[in-house]
Amino acid sequence: MKFLVNPSKFNEMADYIFKPVLILSIILFAIGLLFSFYLSPDDYQQGSTVRIMYVHVPSAWLALLTYAIMTLYSILALAFRIPFGFIFNTAVAPIGAVFTLICIISGSLWGKPMWGTWWVWDARLTSVAILFIIYLIIIFMNLSFENRIVREKVVAIFILVGSVNLPIVKFSVDWWNTLHQPATISKLSKPSIDPSMMTPLIIMTFAFIMIGIAIAILRIKTEIISRKSYLS
Amino acid sequence: MNFLNKIIFFYYREYKLNMSGIQDILTNIIFFFISIFIFIFSIGPDKETISLIGVGILWTLLLLSSTLSLRKFYQDDFENGNLLIIHLNGFSFGFISILKTFSHFLFVQVPFLLSIPIACILLNIANDKLFYLFASFSIGSLILSCLGSISSSMNLMNQRNFLLGSVIVMIFSVPVIIFSVGIINMEESFNSLINILFGILLIVFAINPWASGLCLKLSLENN
Repeated sequence: MKFLVNPSKFNEMADYIFKPVLILSIILFAIGLLFSFYLSPDDYQQGSTVRIMYVHVPSAWLALLTYAIMTLYSILALAFRIPFGFIFNTAVAPIGAVFTLICIISGSLWGKPMWGTWWVWDARLTSVAILFIIYLIIIFMNLSFENRIVREKVVAIFILVGSVNLPIVKFSVDWWNTLHQPATISKLSKPSIDPSMMTPLIIMTFAFIMIGIAIAILRIKTEIISRKSYLS
Repeated sequence: MNFLNKIIFFYYREYKLNMSGIQDILTNIIFFFISIFIFIFSIGPDKETISLIGVGILWTLLLLSSTLSLRKFYQDDFENGNLLIIHLNGFSFGFISILKTFSHFLFVQVPFLLSIPIACILLNIANDKLFYLFASFSIGSLILSCLGSISSSMNLMNQRNFLLGSVIVMIFSVPVIIFSVGIINMEESFNSLINILFGILLIVFAINPWASGLCLKLSLENN
């Protein structure tokens, strides 16, 4: 597991797994989109708009997961002085921002036919919007500092402080009465979703994870190369 | 006793600095009142509407005008080297940030606290709400000072984009705004909401010395 903390080991590993991950993501996207558009049933209340779920839910999960991994790497980088964490934070923040944006836009498109508005100010939607702004602040901080050592540590501290938003996003549907529905899948008991809708959702989630890993590998490799040229 | 003397002299120095530049604080307050005027001009002078949204406007403007003075928080001391001298006198960076936070609360937020009654008259807020407003603002402004300390210490080395500091304060002050406006509008649940506000204060107060101290140390090392 050394490739998770060591840049040169990561480069070796990335050369092995980049092409398989990319091919796997394309295959999974093909199967998943086929399932979600043609092979899954309509909802008895929502009709065909339920198919937005197969893009909305995976992107929302990945937006949260990306921030959680960034928090983990910030702790590693600050406490154990592992510089790969800083590289990871710089490279991955735009990916998380894009996932959050996909989540917000698809949710908005879903909300117009179902709730009647593009946007309501309930707790889940607001906290996700704040998550998006936090991602943007991380990106802008990465662009606006001149001193690299200060920049990466300050960004790591900001990520740690901003991680208080994560449990708020996760539990907002349980703590407050929101228009957004509570979680159906992450219950410990049996999920309250039908298997015919569960299958495309799982496939799309893995497809999103794979495409995220592929883009992250590209961006981390670029970041490593730029740092090498910076030092020499 | 020696340590206590140092703390007293620190605050004496802060007092001297703030009194010599008292026009800054007064300009902040003028900004606050001018924004109230502009809000009323844009909404219209209808008394019902104004008293309905007056508390929200008051809190928004207090937040905005207290973020205006963030640039002064550490920047002057950082640039003329006083921060390093204070540190060499035996204060750790975390402790400096706590002292500075209280100084910011005393010299920037307390003038706002004193000008709240006049703003209440202008915005047509009922007199019996004044106590709730004072209670929520005296806790909330301490939270805002802690957040200001964190964000301005993060942006010490940031020469290009200082507005980022205000954005950081505003994004983290969302729960403060929610609960303190809630206190005023829902008086029956005063106790529970003020406990939540205290909880937020304690969390922020615990994070503040760690985050600001680390950022101050980094900036001084790499200056």
